Amino acid sequence: MAKNAKQRTDIQIAICGSAGDGTIAAGDILKQAMAKAGYNVIAFDVYPPEIRGFGKCIARARITSEQVYSLKSESDCLVSLDDSHAIPHVPEVCKYGTVIYEDTPMSEMAEGTHISSHLASAQLPYGVAFREISERVTSSARSRNIVAVGYLAGLYDMPAEIFHQVIGRKFSGKPKELTDSVLSAFDAGFQTGAETFRLHFDRIGASRSKSKQSDLVMMSGNAATVRGCLDAGIDTFFGYPITPATTIMEMLAREMPKRGARLLQTEDEISAIAATLGAGYAGARAATATSGPGLALMSEMMGLGAMAELPAVAFVSQRGGPSTGMPTKTEQSDLNLAVFGVAGDGQRIILAPTNVEGCYKCAGKAFEMAEKYQTPVIVLLDLYLSNRYEAVELPVENPFSENCSKPVKKKPGKTKYSRFKLTSDGISPRAIPGDEDCMHTVTGLEHNEQGRPNDQPEIHQIMSAKRHEKLLTAVKHPGITISKRFGDKGKVDVGILGWGSTFGEILEAMIEARKEGIRCSAMKVVMLSPLPLGPIHAFMDDCGEVLVPELNYEAQFAALVTGATGRPVHRLNRVTGTPMRVREILAEIRRLAGQTEMIAAE
Amino acid sequence: MMNIHQPVYLEDKLEEVESSGKLAYRSQTLPTWCPGCGYFSIVEGVSKAMTDLGLNQKDTVCVSGIGCASRFPFFMNTFGFHSLHGRALPVATGIKVANDDLTVIVVGGDGDAFAIGGAHIPHAARRNIDITYILFDNGVYGLTKGQTSPTSIVGFKTTTTPYLNVDQPLNPLMMLLSYGASWVAQAYAGEPHHLTEMIEAAVAHRGFSYLHVLSPCVTFDKTSMTYKNLGMTVRPLPGDHDTSDFAAAMAAAQNTDLPQLGVYFAKERPTLADGLNEIAARAEATV
Amino acid sequence: MAKTEHYVIIGNGVAGSEAALHLRQRDQDSRITMVTASKLLSINRYVLPKIFSSSADWRDFLLHPPEFYDQQRISVRRNTWVTHVEPEQKRLILRHRESLSYTKLLIASGGGRYIPESLSEFRDLMLKFGSYEEARSVSNALPKGGHIAMLGGDMIGLDLARSLVHDGYKVTVVGDDYLFWPHHVDQEEKQKFVAVLQGMGIDVRSGIGVTSIEEGARNKPARHIALDNKETIDADVVLSFCGLMPSVAFMAGAGVDIERGVLVNPQLQSTDENIWAAGDVCQIWSPEENQYRFFYGWENVKKMGEIAALNMTGGHESISTFQDEKLIATKTGQIDSPFWQYG
Repeated sequence: MAKNAKQRTDIQIAICGSAGDGTIAAGDILKQAMAKAGYNVIAFDVYPPEIRGFGKCIARARITSEQVYSLKSESDCLVSLDDSHAIPHVPEVCKYGTVIYEDTPMSEMAEGTHISSHLASAQLPYGVAFREISERVTSSARSRNIVAVGYLAGLYDMPAEIFHQVIGRKFSGKPKELTDSVLSAFDAGFQTGAETFRLHFDRIGASRSKSKQSDLVMMSGNAATVRGCLDAGIDTFFGYPITPATTIMEMLAREMPKRGARLLQTEDEISAIAATLGAGYAGARAATATSGPGLALMSEMMGLGAMAELPAVAFVSQRGGPSTGMPTKTEQSDLNLAVFGVAGDGQRIILAPTNVEGCYKCAGKAFEMAEKYQTPVIVLLDLYLSNRYEAVELPVENPFSENCSKPVKKKPGKTKYSRFKLTSDGISPRAIPGDEDCMHTVTGLEHNEQGRPNDQPEIHQIMSAKRHEKLLTAVKHPGITISKRFGDKGKVDVGILGWGSTFGEILEAMIEARKEGIRCSAMKVVMLSPLPLGPIHAFMDDCGEVLVPELNYEAQFAALVTGATGRPVHRLNRVTGTPMRVREILAEIRRLAGQTEMIAAE
Repeated sequence: MMNIHQPVYLEDKLEEVESSGKLAYRSQTLPTWCPGCGYFSIVEGVSKAMTDLGLNQKDTVCVSGIGCASRFPFFMNTFGFHSLHGRALPVATGIKVANDDLTVIVVGGDGDAFAIGGAHIPHAARRNIDITYILFDNGVYGLTKGQTSPTSIVGFKTTTTPYLNVDQPLNPLMMLLSYGASWVAQAYAGEPHHLTEMIEAAVAHRGFSYLHVLSPCVTFDKTSMTYKNLGMTVRPLPGDHDTSDFAAAMAAAQNTDLPQLGVYFAKERPTLADGLNEIAARAEATV
Repeated sequence: MAKTEHYVIIGNGVAGSEAALHLRQRDQDSRITMVTASKLLSINRYVLPKIFSSSADWRDFLLHPPEFYDQQRISVRRNTWVTHVEPEQKRLILRHRESLSYTKLLIASGGGRYIPESLSEFRDLMLKFGSYEEARSVSNALPKGGHIAMLGGDMIGLDLARSLVHDGYKVTVVGDDYLFWPHHVDQEEKQKFVAVLQGMGIDVRSGIGVTSIEEGARNKPARHIALDNKETIDADVVLSFCGLMPSVAFMAGAGVDIERGVLVNPQLQSTDENIWAAGDVCQIWSPEENQYRFFYGWENVKKMGEIAALNMTGGHESISTFQDEKLIATKTGQIDSPFWQYG
């Protein structure tokens, strides 16, 4: 490694196989090891909805020395563990990129079914006897995936000892013979890779700058969400399994009881959110997690939360829709449901992190906000963010406040407690069961300050205003980025307004466009409800054209922004179930930049 | 217990009520039910039971869904959660999981429980969550002004079944028994003293207690579950009924023509909180 | 309507590449597939000696850029080994157990470096210089101004030798039977040309055999060679240049006539009507000499590729005019050979 230590590192590796080939496990070892070795890693796995069978799995990891924000649309290396699945992905390998494949298949292959016949002229073939090597050193072909990881590590000069540590940890608790066998498979692959004559030009070079290497943790968006929950002191979690949110519940199920916190798998999403609101009412920091279909079921309860002013946090990881849609494909099409999916005027807070670190921050802050503003908070994730891995730095000091409830300042026995007292900021002092002399009933019916059902015209007007105005103060909630502008300052030709996981691709496209000399900046909007209209207007004032790329068909965020600002934007929408391509955004920026010049010339 | 035919004098009654202390459990909001509604006796019963059990208002939460019965929390001077149609049990689950120290009493009607909320009952019962569920069964939808409910009898005419109701009614007692409820009993609004007794026992039970209360709707049911009909048919469970005998409980529950009042089944077993504490103990051991 | 032909070419050297180009020109609709064991597209091996004097990578040695193959719709299956040919089914069987069918097959697999039996036991201590990878290995093993021992001294080796000497390396040629291969030079001529080589700065030990090759002692060059005249040579790299051996192992059992190479008529067609051969792998019937013989050298091989392509696409042309094969001494005190000429 030393000889390349000054060279920048930016390699994207895709491992493709069939369910059961150990594809995701191989990718996991790769990304864990490279993060441990001090590199930035962004990784994203794609796997089939079926548990067994022969569905396609792809694990992609981008390993870099500099901070990057998304995967590349082209990979530098493709490892095939199953040619029938990998062949369609050969075109994603870049010029002079490598394709690594099984050269000793189990059985005869029909003409055209071996990946070697599908390489473009400028791609480099590395045929390897994965199966034979695995059989030779472990007496079984099952460690082919580990041989492949070893080969990759050897071929690209990756540090073998760190892979050993990662494999050791992954197999801790398993019989020693198994771990040894896996390590020998890795070593055999590594040796073969190291001895292979290198024709490719990519090298693993420099890692991250030294100062930043200390607290680097490799984690998925869902894992970061879980860390945020734990650091914010989550008390209860109620959930119902649904892809791609299930892993949040699974991780919490392991961690929460260790801290005396309680988790329950409920009978459906309705009871999950109902119990979450119940627990929030009782004073707990309570959360649930679901996806679009589950959020649809939760809509009525979300309205109750808004009306009864109850804290609750719902993590919603979006997938392809509508209906059951594409459970294992990414999409950003539940924005409308999150924002508008409620009976009546039931606004709530919606946060949408744009990267793994943001998942941690938004998760923890969601509990503060739910408590402080006494409202459900939806943290809108998506499959690409939930399942993608990044090497992130978590704060050493817990950044989340313990109790944000507006306290009841009342001497016992004196004036009667009013749960929904009108105040200047709309936030009422909040009592919970157990508080002396504060008995009250919360209800989904419109009610007066005491919480008694009341449908008088002036009451509904005043209470509606109260419930909406208190949320406006959330835009200034401390310690969280609600919106942020990147790139050129001042007037720009093209501004890109983005949200959620797509913002990584937006940033990459913006950086590329600036290299091409286009005056360009990008703004991420993390709080989607209520919208931070001040910064959005200021940004749009500076932009010749505004582009909104998002992974949905109906341009939901674009419509939301246009509706709120009354200003037109350009839409860029894709619903391929995959992250948006940087080059697609870039092409649109170029087109709009040209358009701006033409208008200027006129 | 069924022969209370002595004259009652208002002065005596007032004094008795004020001195009992049970008014402390009543809110200043007067019940909005129709005069003669069986539900009044339940407010009375719960207040009496809380007084007798010495429960503190601030540590008690009454949870309901939507329906005539679900207005109940507003009439109590405790913490209350008037939630959504059918969802009282999951809300109560959340409250109890968040704070074991609270006494949680869930009330609801037959439509709220067995129609829209039917999916939640088995799970509250099997988890043996330590709450009391008082089900006010009047066999009709009252708040929406007289439609058929899951416990309406076949042939019942309502605004949505103007010719006849053809659906077989559910048997809530058998359902709850088979779901694994650890305490199942039946009472009748027309027998307020027995009702209060049953409420006390239900709240005292450690685990999920289900009290089925037969309660006439004087406005929308003039033919079926009336005071007259019920008064003539209800009777106590036999004196030798064994509350630990599940088969006997199921057999008794089958007799819907002559509803029997009393505790059908009672059996202590670990509650949800016990289970969650066990999980926590095992998890902490791994740290 | 004529069916679409699938021309398969085994080998991506000069003959194969030339044939592919002409096949495409003559048949726009056909499929053309080249199969090669190399991981790389065709390399111009005549410029490989430049690997010592520049920082060039393999892209600088490509015969055609990658885009060329895309434009010409020529699929190059690299890193692929043919294990045998089944002429009756008209298909190849590849080492990775895939089959590949053809309608017309051109064998242009060239020749592998021949190692005489006397040197075979030392093969692990010698390097090769045929492919880009091999050339890079030699270049990596050779220190600046280092010493190369070249056994055999065929014309491919001598081409490298003169380039190395020019770049400041020391070259010792130990040769006898294969000196100046494939030129046939008599004993008298040989003395003359050896003298010219010496004059060019190449140390030639002619008529001497190798007794052993060993790893060099510590702090000495990597290889120690003992000669049968008791002399020894310490060299950084030992290379063997003893002519070429046609690569035809995969043709065993195919039913096509083979002597040393694939036997073909002057139209380059083998004894199977769908199989042709061109380049260093084929022995062409020479009516004048009444025997099958090899023709080496860039221009010959290139011409064979062209003729084969012509005849595979319905032509009927015989190969006749071969370049002059004589080794000459130039007026400037160098030797020159038609085998060194290309382009």
